[in-house]
Amino acid sequence: MELERLEEYVWRIPVEAGMRVPGIVFASQELMDRAVQDRAIEQVANVATLPGIVGASYAMPDIHWGYGFPIGGVAATDADHGVISPGGVGFDIACGVRLLRSDLEWQKDVEPVIEKLVHVLGVHVPRGVGTKGRMRLSGTETERVLVEGVRFPLSRGVGFEEDAEHCEDRGTLAGARPEFVSEKAFQRGSSQLGSLGAGNHFVEVQVVEEIADVRAAGVMGMFVGQVCVMVHSGSRGLGHQVCTDHVKVMDRLMPSIGIEVPDRQLACVPLSHPAADEYLGAMYAAANFARANRHVLGDGAREAFQEVFGRSARDLGLSLVYDVAHNLAKVEDHVVEGKRRTVCVHRKGATRAFGPGHPEVPSAYRDIGQPVIIPGSMGTASYVLVGTNESAERSFSSTCHGAGRAMSRTKAKKVMSGPEVARKLEAEGITLAPAHWGLLSEEAPYAYKDVSEVVRVCEGAGLCRIVARLRPVGVVKG
Amino acid sequence: MSAGYNILEHTADLGIRAWGATREQAFEQAARGLIDVMGARARMPIVARTVKVEGTDAAAVLVDFLNELIVLHEIEEAGFGRVRVLRVSDSELEAEVEMAPLDGRAGGTTVKAATYHQLEVREGSGRVEADVYLDV
Repeated sequence: MELERLEEYVWRIPVEAGMRVPGIVFASQELMDRAVQDRAIEQVANVATLPGIVGASYAMPDIHWGYGFPIGGVAATDADHGVISPGGVGFDIACGVRLLRSDLEWQKDVEPVIEKLVHVLGVHVPRGVGTKGRMRLSGTETERVLVEGVRFPLSRGVGFEEDAEHCEDRGTLAGARPEFVSEKAFQRGSSQLGSLGAGNHFVEVQVVEEIADVRAAGVMGMFVGQVCVMVHSGSRGLGHQVCTDHVKVMDRLMPSIGIEVPDRQLACVPLSHPAADEYLGAMYAAANFARANRHVLGDGAREAFQEVFGRSARDLGLSLVYDVAHNLAKVEDHVVEGKRRTVCVHRKGATRAFGPGHPEVPSAYRDIGQPVIIPGSMGTASYVLVGTNESAERSFSSTCHGAGRAMSRTKAKKVMSGPEVARKLEAEGITLAPAHWGLLSEEAPYAYKDVSEVVRVCEGAGLCRIVARLRPVGVVKG
Repeated sequence: MSAGYNILEHTADLGIRAWGATREQAFEQAARGLIDVMGARARMPIVARTVKVEGTDAAAVLVDFLNELIVLHEIEEAGFGRVRVLRVSDSELEAEVEMAPLDGRAGGTTVKAATYHQLEVREGSGRVEADVYLDV
């Protein structure tokens, strides 16, 4: 496959057999060299074959080989004659990130008590396989979470009322249809609200290390030396099951509709098909579950801070900066080839990044653009970015989602053992909550790309602007 | 070896290549692979459960079968003993699965789902081989 370099950070995959649009990859030379080592570029081309795809099949700099869609992929399909593909959202529906700021300073307030703080956080944040969440739900209550998102825990007095305003979709995605969420999904999810899960999910205590955009950081209430809390989690077993169920339905339907895809995990149906409505309704429901999950986890973090500092979370200034998903498909209006069109934007390992003035951006951030939270791999920097209006024309208002894996889990485990990785992180001054270290090396920093390079390229390509860099000082791993 | 499995490398996830003399054997090995990845092997099974799934072809049946095991593991917090695949057709599978409660947390990787990515069941000359990728 021939790649054309259009700009320093923009590469084009020309249209070849079966592709309906070209592929566009945002990457530096170094990141492109990595992307072509696995099968990610081939997957960008595969996505370009989906019926009704418009513009291009996009890939962010953190792109890597996924299942069907690449991780870091963005595809917009026409609402009238395009398709929707559950694989373009993935199994962890609405997996995303939530950032809480505080009035606390690292050296003065938190460093002396970091070990205690991380220990208490570990107690307040349920994690690992099969763990029960902070909120137990009856069937009816689970259904309310699916429809109401963060409004449900708020109605139970969990969290601050103003948290909702600083969430994507104000914490509640309209159009959720719990009736298309299976009994199995309900069973998987009902005990898991307010639990972290496993893999790369985490709650981290972080310190603002550098500020690149003083004005935007000021609007977000951020300052150098400040302590923040980042939560990275998703829709848990409920979301996984929604994807499993609906991919199966679409895989069965495709032959009768006459759609062929190069990889079965790209299973899709036209947006006009009833199965598309059913998936959208179920996927939005799972997205509401994911928001509520991060909301309840954020509440656990606030409780831990209250316990350690003996002051209320409000008094500590622990307010929500923003909560945004990086695995989601949404129906949005975009200008395509000069014409305004309604499209379904699939973002799989990519974050929506609306620029200043966009009506979907909370009023507090309207002048600076939508905050984008980029979680680093364990033990490395995380970033706060803002969306740009340029990204509307370049990538359907999307930017990256993280560092992106560079090494398989099997290989990562061969480089270092879990306890060795734990010791290395601790030697770097990062406090870890106790856990089983056996699998820690699967998520070791060396298994990922350099997150700083990823965000630098996104900024260089005009997809977002860097606001602040945060470094981890305490890690509670899933 | 006449039946077995190995792990296929993948940047983000992982795959299982399972084989045997028959479809039943190969699918049993795929289940064994999944259970090992999840660290969900139970030493003293206390109950045997019949699992039935259906699909549009043998490969889809395999994905559904593995997804059923993932759900049992998560909802019932179960570990697994012996998995016996009794019969597999192009549209159905029936298996007997020995289960026991897992004490404490599973020691393995959390598996979100079995996927259709690069899914393949190859059959010929007395050997069946299946590739399936897991989202982890």
